[in-house]
Parts: sequence; C-alpha cells; structure tokens
Amino acid sequence: MRPDLVWIVFGKEWREIASNRLLLGAVAAPAIIFAAIPTAIVAFIQVNDIDMAQLGQIELMLAAFPDLPVKLAAQGFIVTNFMAYFLLIPAMVPIAIASQSVIGERQARSLEPQLATPIEVSELLAGKTIAAALPAILATWVVWVGYGLINAAIADPRLLRMVFSPQWIVAMASLVPLICVLSVLLGVIVSSRVGDPRTAQQFGAFVVLPIIAIAVAQFLGGQATFTMQQVLTADLITIGLIGGLLVIGSWAFNREEILTRLG
Amino acid sequence: MLVISVHGLERRFRTVTAVYDLSFNVPAGAVYGLLGPNGAGKTTTIRMLAGLIAPTAGTAEIAGHPLGPDNAAIRAMTGILTESPGLHDRLTARQNLAYYGRLYGLTDGPLREAVDRYLDIVGLTEAADRRVGGFSKGMRQRVAVARALLHEPRVIYLDEPTSGLDPEAAKSIRALIASLREEGRSILLCTHNLDEAERLCDQIGILNGHLLAEGSPAELRRHGRPTTTRIELDGGPVDPAALAATVRALPFVTAVTSGAADLTVELAEPRQDTPDLVRELIQQGARVVAVSENVASLEQVYLDLVGERADRDAEGVHAA
Repeated sequence: MRPDLVWIVFGKEWREIASNRLLLGAVAAPAIIFAAIPTAIVAFIQVNDIDMAQLGQIELMLAAFPDLPVKLAAQGFIVTNFMAYFLLIPAMVPIAIASQSVIGERQARSLEPQLATPIEVSELLAGKTIAAALPAILATWVVWVGYGLINAAIADPRLLRMVFSPQWIVAMASLVPLICVLSVLLGVIVSSRVGDPRTAQQFGAFVVLPIIAIAVAQFLGGQATFTMQQVLTADLITIGLIGGLLVIGSWAFNREEILTRLG
Repeated sequence: MLVISVHGLERRFRTVTAVYDLSFNVPAGAVYGLLGPNGAGKTTTIRMLAGLIAPTAGTAEIAGHPLGPDNAAIRAMTGILTESPGLHDRLTARQNLAYYGRLYGLTDGPLREAVDRYLDIVGLTEAADRRVGGFSKGMRQRVAVARALLHEPRVIYLDEPTSGLDPEAAKSIRALIASLREEGRSILLCTHNLDEAERLCDQIGILNGHLLAEGSPAELRRHGRPTTTRIELDGGPVDPAALAATVRALPFVTAVTSGAADLTVELAEPRQDTPDLVRELIQQGARVVAVSENVASLEQVYLDLVGERADRDAEGVHAA
C-alpha cells in the first residue's frame, strides 16, 4: 500500500464531496439533530422547575448521579443518555458517501481509467474509505465537543465531566472511526451489487438498527451511559465485523470483478 | 523492434469466449488497427493488453514486459482511452487531468506543464477550469484523449476514439493520432470506422473473436476479392464482345466480361500482365482510352469476412 497514491485518491474524493452541497447537508443534518434534541431538553429543564411526580421512571435513573442535585442529575442523565445516538452519525453518513461514490463512478464509467493507472485496488479503496469516513468522524467529534460545551454553559460545568468522560473519549477515538469503516465497507460491497445509491443506503440499517437498539436498551435499563467495558467490547465486535466485510469486499471488489461486472 | 507481441491470447467469461487464438505484433512507431463489429472482442483485447483483466490462455509482451507478472509496469507505461470517457463530472478538466497525472507519478512543475500542454493540444485551454459535467460529448472525449497521453506513454490503446464525435472533432482526433505515430509511439486502435482505420493504420487486423485477416490496408483490399482491370474503349473497328473472346484465350487472363464500351478483365498478376493485355488489344484494333485497376474497398473485404463468419455462426446455430 503506497500512502501517496491513497492520499491522491482521498484528495480527489474530498474535492468531489466538498462540491456536493446536498451530500454535505446529509452529513451535517443528523449530527445537528442528534445534538439539538437533548440540548433543548436540558434547556427546558434549566428554565422550568422539576415536578418530581412527573419524573416517573427517570427518577430511578437519577440514582446514577447520587452526588448531584435532582435537576442537574436529570440534565446529566439526558445529556449522557442521548450520546449513544452520536454513534448513528458514523453509521449513517459514510455509507451514504461511499455508495454515492462507488455507484456514481459506475454510472460515469470512471473506474476503468483509474484502474488502468499504476494504482492498486486496495489503494483506490483505502482513499475512498478515508474520504467517506472522515466527514462523519469530524462531524461527530465537532458535535460532541460543541454539545459538551453548550450544555455545560446552559446547565452546569459539571456536565463537562460527563460528556468528556474517559469511556466517551475512548469511544470517540476508537469506536466512531471503527463504525465509520464498517459503514464504508458495507456501502462499497452493497454498491457493487445494486445500481441505485438509495438502495445501497437502505442497507445502512444493518449498522444503524443495532445502535438504536443499544441506545433504547440503555435507556430502558436505566443506564445513563456506556461503561468502559461496554465500549471496548463494542470495539472488538466492530473489528470482527470489519474483518468479515474485508474478506467479502476483497472478493467483490477485485480489478476483474469491477471491470467485468461494475465497469 | 516489436512493442506489442501477442501469442494465442484467449479470454473466456463463464460460458462465453470473447477472444480466442489471437496473435499479432505491433512494431515500434506503428498504428495497428483492430477492426471488428460490436462484441468482436476489441475492448476485451485492450483490457487484457493493458493489464486490467487476465487472459485465460496465451501470452503477450508489452515493450518487453510479460503480461501478468509485469502488469503494474505495463499500466505505468501505457495510456488507454477507454470506450467511454469516464470522467469525474464534479471536477474541472484541469483537475481531472491533474488527478490522473498524479496517479501516473507526475508531480509539481512537470505535472502542471503536462496538463497545460495537453489541454492546449486537445484545444481545451479556454475550458480548462470548467467542470466537465457541463461539457459536450466531443469535449469529454478530448479530455479523455489528453488523459491517455498525459504521462507520455510509449504504448497507447485507443478504443473507438472518434465514436460519436462530429466530423470536425473526429478530424482533430485523427490528426492527433497521426502526430503520435510520427513521434514514434506504438498505437493499438480499436474501431469499426473503416475509413479511419484505412487512413491511420499501418497494419489492420479484422477481429471477430479471433483474427479473420491481417495485413496492411492495401494487402487487405486484395484479400478475397480478385483485383480486376477495366479497359475503356472508344469505338474502333472491333466489337467489345469479339475482343472479349480473343482476350479470354490469353494464358494470363482468368475471366473477362464485356460492356457496351469496356472490358473488365481478371488477370493472374495484374501489375505484370496489364501491359501485355493492352498490347494485345491494340494489335486486335481496339482503341484503348483508359486502363484502371479495380481494387476491392476495405469495406467490401471487411463485410465479406465478417459476413462469412456470421453466416458460419448462423449455420452452426442451425446445425446445433
């Protein structure tokens, strides 16, 4: 693998992504929405008095924050619990970009001239993968930092410790990029078999739905946020899934297959 | 010196054999044309020789590099114009070329110079900074041609370079191909434009799965159909039909037909026998006003060869 060639492909892909406003909107919108909803709830709690009778099940969950006043504990629970949805950004965005990229190239028949250069398929794919993953990783990180700062400003600086907890720092540094790679690989493999980017994006459900299920289970189970052990387990599971998709991808995306089936 | 040397190349796709028993050579600085109908295996041949897909049998060498183990080196030293331009629509013409230039190893000054040079050669300097998504088909094709030449390849594969272009654009592409030959590049040109092949190619192979015939355009024109000599007569004491009977008796004449004021004669060796034929006619009292050689056109030869093949295939299907 020659990094300079990967970098050249990345640069070209990045140019194309940056020139596609619709795609950039698709990157930014979910990130903003996932951050805005809990922030609005935190702000609502901040300006209104909490009625303990209305807390219902949440009252039980506030036990996660025994040292905090009830109002701040409720805000802390909302802030940390919703962070699981941030993992949807690396699940949803890269598959959209990757499928757009591969199917777009198939439709433009631009894969063949690229494969006729000295580049190897793995280098071409690596460049595409980084270009598809990077916007989602950056969007997730930017929203995460902004989310922590804004909510701390709205409610209490102690929220910073919850948002930037060690397990979330590890999750942002490892799990978010891994989910991005998983999503890109899924997008590339599906795009090699279907002709419409929207159809390819439907397959993103295979990554999105488990994350939603985890977030909902976490809420129903009364767990405010992930533990470090859960983050590391998720890392290992994602690495395993990536390994499986790499095997499938190397079979589905070799030079001959691309030219005779996709070109 | 041979730059492309192909021996018994074959490519099967599951149950379909696209190319088989294909052998030909292209010397340095020559244009070799592969002529054939759609589905004849032209694009498959180019893809094999560009190191993009592997042959299922046979061997080939490109500038001394064997196909297979040296595919990366072959891709680096060849330029390919694919059947479809395959451009990146959101990038400008300059960005498209710069991207490919970098993939071929050009950087900085040499890259900028090469991009500017070839934008100028294909007449797109003015449109260089416009996105190619808005280009006409001819402009897109010209960008693709520039892309194939940017890294100054020794060997160039051109797959239908003028397909779908207006006459002016096609003429400029043909002029560019001719200039590349003058520069000493070896070119494999796939086309079904017979006129283009005849004008540009030193050697032509007629392909329909395998080579049906091969030779220079002049050699191919003489392939299959006999060359005839037409003698135009202007009155005179002897009737053309009577002259035909006399001429038929000559040992070097294989067939004669007579018209109202002309004879069409098939000769064993036209170049050698025509003077003797004319002498004999004059001795017989004929007033010969013109002598011309009727050579079959490349189109006739091509249609004969491809048609024969299609007929044989059809018979095979019926027999099966």
